[in-house]
Amino acid sequence: MKDQKPPYRHRSLWHMVLAPTVWAFHFVFCYAVMSVACIKLGAPDIARLGVAALTVIALGIIGFLGWRAWVQWDFRPGDNYKHDRPTEAQRREFLGHGGFLLSIVSAVGVIFDALPIFIIESCI
Amino acid sequence: MTDSRTSSHPAPTEEEQAARPVGTYPPTQELLDAPDDPQARAEREAQLREAWKTPRGWRYLSAVNNSEVGTWYALSAFGFMLCAGVLALLIRVQLAVPDNDFLSADRFNQFFTMHGSAMMFLFAVPMFEAISILLLPAFLGARDMPFPRLSAYGYWCFLIGGCFVLGSVLFNVAPKSGWFMYPPLATEQEGIGPDIWLLGLSFIEIASIAAAVELIVGVIKCRPPGMRINIMPLYAWYVLVVGVMILFAFPPLIAGDFLFELQRSLDWPFFDPDRGGDPMLWQHLFWIFGHPEVYIVFLPSIAIAAMVVPTASQRPIVGYSWIVLSAVGVGFLSFGLWVHHMFTTGLPSLSLGFFSAASQAVVIPTGVQIFAFVATLMVGRVKMIQPMLWIAGALAIFTMGGLTGVMLAIAPFDWQVHDTYFIVAHLHYTLFGGLVFPLLGGVYYFYPFFTKRMMSDRLGRISFWTTFIGFNVCFLPMHLTGLLGMPRRVASYSSEMGWNWLNLLSSVGGFIVAAGILIFAWDLVRPKRDQPLAPRNPWKGGTLEWSHDVPAEAWGSRSVPYVSSRYPLWEDDKFLERLDEGRFYIPDAPEGKRETLVTSSVDAEPQGALPITGPAWCTIWAAAFTGGAFILPVFKLYWLALLSGAGAVACVVYWLWTATAQVPKAPDRDVGLGLRLPVYVTGFRAPGWWAMFITMLGDATAYASIVFGVFFFWTARPDFPPEGAAHADATLIALSALGFVLAWGATITAREVNRRDRRRAARALIGAGVLCTLGAAGAMGLALWLPGMAPSSHAYPAIMYALGVWVGAHSGAGVVMLLYCLAGSWAGKLTPRYDADLVNTTLFWHFLCLMGLVTALMMGVFPRLAS
Amino acid sequence: MWITLPLLAGCSGAQSVLEPAGRDAQVLADLFWVMLAGAVVLWLLVNGLILYVTRIAPQPLSRRGAEALIIGGGIIFPAVVLIGLLVYGLSEMPKQRAEGAGLTLRVTGHQFWWRVEYWPDGADAPILAANEVRLPTGQRSEIKLNAERVIHSFWIPALGGKTDMIPGRETRMSLEPEKPGTYRGQCTEFCGESHAYMAFGAVVMSPEAFDAWLEREAADAVAPETQQARRGQQIFLSEGCGGCHQIRGTPADAQVGPDLTHLAGRTTLAAGILPMSHSALRDWIADPEAFKPGVEMPGYGHLSDDDIGALATYLMSLK
Repeated sequence: MKDQKPPYRHRSLWHMVLAPTVWAFHFVFCYAVMSVACIKLGAPDIARLGVAALTVIALGIIGFLGWRAWVQWDFRPGDNYKHDRPTEAQRREFLGHGGFLLSIVSAVGVIFDALPIFIIESCI
Repeated sequence: MTDSRTSSHPAPTEEEQAARPVGTYPPTQELLDAPDDPQARAEREAQLREAWKTPRGWRYLSAVNNSEVGTWYALSAFGFMLCAGVLALLIRVQLAVPDNDFLSADRFNQFFTMHGSAMMFLFAVPMFEAISILLLPAFLGARDMPFPRLSAYGYWCFLIGGCFVLGSVLFNVAPKSGWFMYPPLATEQEGIGPDIWLLGLSFIEIASIAAAVELIVGVIKCRPPGMRINIMPLYAWYVLVVGVMILFAFPPLIAGDFLFELQRSLDWPFFDPDRGGDPMLWQHLFWIFGHPEVYIVFLPSIAIAAMVVPTASQRPIVGYSWIVLSAVGVGFLSFGLWVHHMFTTGLPSLSLGFFSAASQAVVIPTGVQIFAFVATLMVGRVKMIQPMLWIAGALAIFTMGGLTGVMLAIAPFDWQVHDTYFIVAHLHYTLFGGLVFPLLGGVYYFYPFFTKRMMSDRLGRISFWTTFIGFNVCFLPMHLTGLLGMPRRVASYSSEMGWNWLNLLSSVGGFIVAAGILIFAWDLVRPKRDQPLAPRNPWKGGTLEWSHDVPAEAWGSRSVPYVSSRYPLWEDDKFLERLDEGRFYIPDAPEGKRETLVTSSVDAEPQGALPITGPAWCTIWAAAFTGGAFILPVFKLYWLALLSGAGAVACVVYWLWTATAQVPKAPDRDVGLGLRLPVYVTGFRAPGWWAMFITMLGDATAYASIVFGVFFFWTARPDFPPEGAAHADATLIALSALGFVLAWGATITAREVNRRDRRRAARALIGAGVLCTLGAAGAMGLALWLPGMAPSSHAYPAIMYALGVWVGAHSGAGVVMLLYCLAGSWAGKLTPRYDADLVNTTLFWHFLCLMGLVTALMMGVFPRLAS
Repeated sequence: MWITLPLLAGCSGAQSVLEPAGRDAQVLADLFWVMLAGAVVLWLLVNGLILYVTRIAPQPLSRRGAEALIIGGGIIFPAVVLIGLLVYGLSEMPKQRAEGAGLTLRVTGHQFWWRVEYWPDGADAPILAANEVRLPTGQRSEIKLNAERVIHSFWIPALGGKTDMIPGRETRMSLEPEKPGTYRGQCTEFCGESHAYMAFGAVVMSPEAFDAWLEREAADAVAPETQQARRGQQIFLSEGCGGCHQIRGTPADAQVGPDLTHLAGRTTLAAGILPMSHSALRDWIADPEAFKPGVEMPGYGHLSDDDIGALATYLMSLK
């Protein structure tokens, strides 16, 4: 038995979707930076640097969230993928597993979104 | 739990304020096995039947139960689909041979516009809502949706709006600028066509948002006790994701419709490039809606597959977490793709590349779902029940559409095939494979649940193969037709282009599809009175819906079960017996009221046994008046429309007053299995609070879309704001902001003060809140009007005024809510203890205050910085 | 709608993405074949698997196998393929949008015709034409796009992708034709009642042939030589056709409608929908609305057959 109450994220659906929410913010800010830099300022390098910076930050946060979700998932040798019993432990691990998988998808999304800055060098 | 309080008693704390569950939870094995008295059981059944009985005769139309509303909704949506299908057949007749004059160009343009609009707005999303309304309560062991009258209201709005919009075709006044209605073509179109589209569809979109609110609240708050979030059926997960998507995807379109209609009726030039506007703003707003829309349409059908596949494999789904991950992942990522509909508009390559990459990224969670189904099929032993045939066909067609989608996500390739028949092929493959086939399979699968009889296996197979073959004959050639250069939306083509036999083939295919659908339709509606009733669980499924009663009972579920597994019918052999004998929760209706159990959002711990609404006429009246408010402006009858709107508000107020947040006689009730639950809850334990919260999230998104418009103009146009333009008066704007903050403060304080039983002070504060709101809105209006900002002169004053109109309308709503609470306090409906109305009003006010402040910044500060 | 003679540009393939005649279209056609092959293989694999599993009913797969399928097939394989495809596609974008060097065209979309201006390198005034685009091989030509009133889209499938023409903003594209020939373009953004009847000829020529053509195009209109043609010119001027149409070298100088200075030198009439022939021209002048509902040009059916014939003769002489 834990001494303190378990952290809110163990029973929170909001926390499970934190990583995709970070992706969403990354997306919105990248879109804004690209639009203003290319259309208003005609400066592709600002766009690329801005996106690069946002990407590093986003991946950092997603990495942290993913690690925390991994710990919550409590991966051990044995069956880690079935969370079909209505116990607190399984609910916590399910939310952790879901959060972890969503971190991977969000990281993939962030990386894909950032790819163009390595290949396209102008605003044309 | 005591009830008696005197006004001199010290103020109840938040804890005491809320009645709590009392007794045993979770139920012990002893309680579950306790035997049952047949006499008492018969009495309880009689009570339940009486409370839930379906009205008869012409009163049938006043029904609000999910079985009735869902059936009407589904049949109406299906009917609209058939109409849209007829339009498609007429289009194919016109295009079957070159240089055809079967339809004039004008008629053709109306038909393809209405085909797309009707299919997307009157069939795709409403069908999802209809099926969910029919099924969701059963999946969750609930008796009904959490807000039955809201479902009914949504349905009647949909029916009125749908008939109005589709009916325009019969009068040759249908909109004819494509289902996406790009300005300037659509804004400058003469006649009432675009207005019919705008107003008719805004009306329907509101119904969609109402349905989304219900579905989200249903999944989060009305699950059976014990059904923790990790053992919820996958359909419920999908409904949750799709509901949230609707909430964030529809509002940008509503905002766009709002601006579009302001341009058409008041000539405010949002999309007119000669006066500072930009047609691209519409494209952005439309596609921010349009792309998630197709996933909103696709995910629920995959949800049906997620319920059919385990039954066909006779084993639990493999990769439950993976599927949840995919659904949520697709839900988020699908909002980042919209510019792929605008690849040819000349935006910078960096921006286009960004969206090209995002469009590829979404393939990954989509693929994961499909592989999870395949894995389930592979791990189990598949029984090829008839619905599985439809699902297999769906996957075959959808994967083809998905693969062409991957091609289209590569922007340069899209530059070639955009707006050609290649796209028509792609969209029909994804829509038929992702929506129509799973839907038809789902109807075959769930038909015994809806009607207690089976559809014909033979007719089903004939219908499937006819539709499948016809579909491929029609749409497969279109890939080539598009690559050979045939653009979309062309009323005819010349015979020298080399498109002749391809088009003829597609037309023939179209008729074969129609035949297949008609066979299905016949199987659906043919009289089956002579057929024996179906067995209770004909497919041997494991989830809750198959515990339904045969023959049918109106109560939905005999008792609300305590659930401890994903597939209770497979894993607990005593389950069905207990359920039928009413040995779970709320097996009776001692006050003759309809009730539902409300549980906590993640762990489904019981929190309340709340009354829900029964049959009513006020919902139909409200829908009719709302219809008037939207439809009359099409014919420029603005004063009548305003009156109609007032009528709608009056009906809604009456409905809320008589049927929601009623002060209960006793604070709690015995729900069985040793548990007593409160019958009135407030705050985030209450479905009503969630409904307000969710609605406001959608509303805030629409508002944010208008703010996006401001930033869009600033980025895209050099003259925003124009040189020397008048700005909103700074002092009045500051006063307005102050007014909103004060009104917000007054509302919150009123809630606190009311809880401490100082009712007079609370009423005074509410009154002050009303005055501050009126002052704030008035100050904002004057701030725009006094400096002489003319909205029809340029997009800058126009969008400032648009923000003002928005805040003004919401301030009106805020005032109505405050007055409602005031009246409630006087009439004894709003008491220190039973204060849900005031709590929900306060929640609305958080959002309104924020909107007021942001608007003040946008009007007062931003333009001065940007100049 | 009827057509008397086969369109010169109208044999199948003139508007085909799969018969490229320019650098960009070639790259995209090749890409398409590669993607198609991949798509066919993948579709067969996935659906073959489903067929196998539902019909042939083999041993059930293990849980580990199922997980491997989901992770491998659903995440790793698509991610790798998609990144590869994406990198290629993204790198191609700036190449297809590279700035043109030398010749610049300005095309404006109207309902339902195309205004075309040729700006040779260093020119300070354009050579005005309509409803047909001619380009030289061996260079990338810049094309600037505008629109009047509503959105259109400019597309020559044989040469490259399309770009929209949006009122209030100028968009741009560039094309690098490689094979001389006559191709066809069409408007590909719904623009109103006669959207289906707004196309144009796209003629690709060798640089020498192009320069010679452009010189002739820049010159004023050929003076009418026969009696009929002179009578036609008189009717043209007296009926007020010059109120919309310019014919350089005559008093007609309005630019409301298409420039007609070298009308007969074009491969098609009325924006790609009629052959350039005497009889088609007569029918068009008599009743344009029959061919293009919603067109702005009024009908001249009130003129006698002889008069319309003379007009047509005159216009057909404007090579």
